[in-house]
Amino acid sequence: MKGANISVIRRFLPGVVSMLGFMLLWQLGTSFGPLSGGSLPSAINAISALGALFVLPEIWLAIGQTLFIALTGLLISVVLGIPAGVLVGLSPFAYRSLKPVLDFFKVIPPIVIIPIVILVFGPTTEMGIFLVVFANFFMLVFQSAYGVRDLDTVLLDTLRCYGMTKWDEIWHARIPGALPFIAVGVRIAVAASMIVAVVAGLIGGAPSLGQQMLLYQSSGQPNQTFAIVIIFGVLGLGLARIYSRLQRKIVFWTD
Amino acid sequence: MSTGKVIVSAESVVMDYQTPTGIKHVLNDISFSLLEGEFASIVGPSGVGKTTLLRLLTGLMQPTSGTIRINGEVVTSPPPGLAVVLQDYTRSLMPWLTVEKNISLPLKRLGLSKTEIAETIELVLTEVGLRGNQKNYPWQLSGGMQQRVAIARAIAVRPQLLIMDEPFASVDAQTRFDLEDLVLKVRDDFKITTAMVTHDIDEAVYLSDKVVVLYGSPADVKEIVKVDLPYPRNQVASRGREEFAELRTKIYAQVRGLQ
Repeated sequence: MKGANISVIRRFLPGVVSMLGFMLLWQLGTSFGPLSGGSLPSAINAISALGALFVLPEIWLAIGQTLFIALTGLLISVVLGIPAGVLVGLSPFAYRSLKPVLDFFKVIPPIVIIPIVILVFGPTTEMGIFLVVFANFFMLVFQSAYGVRDLDTVLLDTLRCYGMTKWDEIWHARIPGALPFIAVGVRIAVAASMIVAVVAGLIGGAPSLGQQMLLYQSSGQPNQTFAIVIIFGVLGLGLARIYSRLQRKIVFWTD
Repeated sequence: MSTGKVIVSAESVVMDYQTPTGIKHVLNDISFSLLEGEFASIVGPSGVGKTTLLRLLTGLMQPTSGTIRINGEVVTSPPPGLAVVLQDYTRSLMPWLTVEKNISLPLKRLGLSKTEIAETIELVLTEVGLRGNQKNYPWQLSGGMQQRVAIARAIAVRPQLLIMDEPFASVDAQTRFDLEDLVLKVRDDFKITTAMVTHDIDEAVYLSDKVVVLYGSPADVKEIVKVDLPYPRNQVASRGREEFAELRTKIYAQVRGLQ
């Protein structure tokens, strides 16, 4: 038991120390350094503003809205993108035909379509969800298609020699073989979903933490604005951690 | 060890590849046959086309001209009753399936019942010395053990022809000897006709009834060397015999183009 405690301390202590060190630098930099006197809040001010925000119901609502946009968008893009990608990857003709389209949409940042999307949906939750799906869908299609195509030739030869059916090849080899690629795609999508959910509010006015941030910024409250940055960081980190655990379960054979 | 029935026959097999710089002639008029229960090794210098010949035997590729027959039938795709053990066990076993599932997948098409499949898996794992490893994943096993799983998967289908491509190339020397002896034992227990590509001439002599020596570019069959070492063979006595040394020297000279 004692040994376990020591290893927990060893694992987390360096991270905690460097976090505290960063806070100290932040505090010193904004008090004495070249950043002092500007509107950049000090660490103490931002953190006390954060404490004060937690009693406000609108902050909890904004957190809920942000997570709703990010997770709904993520779910839709996963449910649509992965099967679509698997199908595209299984057909060399479909892959060749659709790859230019995928490549084109993959490089369009979701921010640049915000003006068009606002015309269609207005500054709404639906607009935010659409942007999240747009940000993830093509990347997930591509990752899944690439994954099913990438089956090792030695394995493919082995399966063919044993006279396995096309269906067995797809179900037992191509799809599981694609999972590591798909898992990486979803990892990217988890991070992108949070970012886009906030940007949808910040630029597109969708109800989310981004919109809340904009309110604080335009009313000259830098401490609160910064406190939301911290909330956003904690949420993003939390989601990434949860997904990591899930990923280890799904693609258990990779390290 | 042979009944005299021809299982594999290659008749004037020619193989050319289309490459960006033109046509590359790989195999030039290859003919040999393999009788039921025989073990043949295919040796030759690196890049001579050994693996190409093996792929032609599996039916994964078609020759430019000439024919390959298995059981008298011209091979145009992997024939029924074929099993393979390829060089890289990390790539030929599926890491997302347990040992048991890896072995049972090719068995499904044989129409066996669940009990028969479980019994077969138990039998073949015992044969390769991996009894009780059904529920393990390949990556939980050592390299030598993974190649044993690949061998177990091969014998589980009760193949008529076993094809092995450098099966022991990625394991350490001690494991290699163990696996060679395992192959001898499996062959004795299951009477499987086997064709194996190897770059190790000692291994070819130790395991085979005949050694097909490829040489040249494009490659011809330089000679088919008969190996008359008595059975049962073992690493110390068989390799210590005078005939063993003579055969090895002879084949080595041919592979090096010295003879």
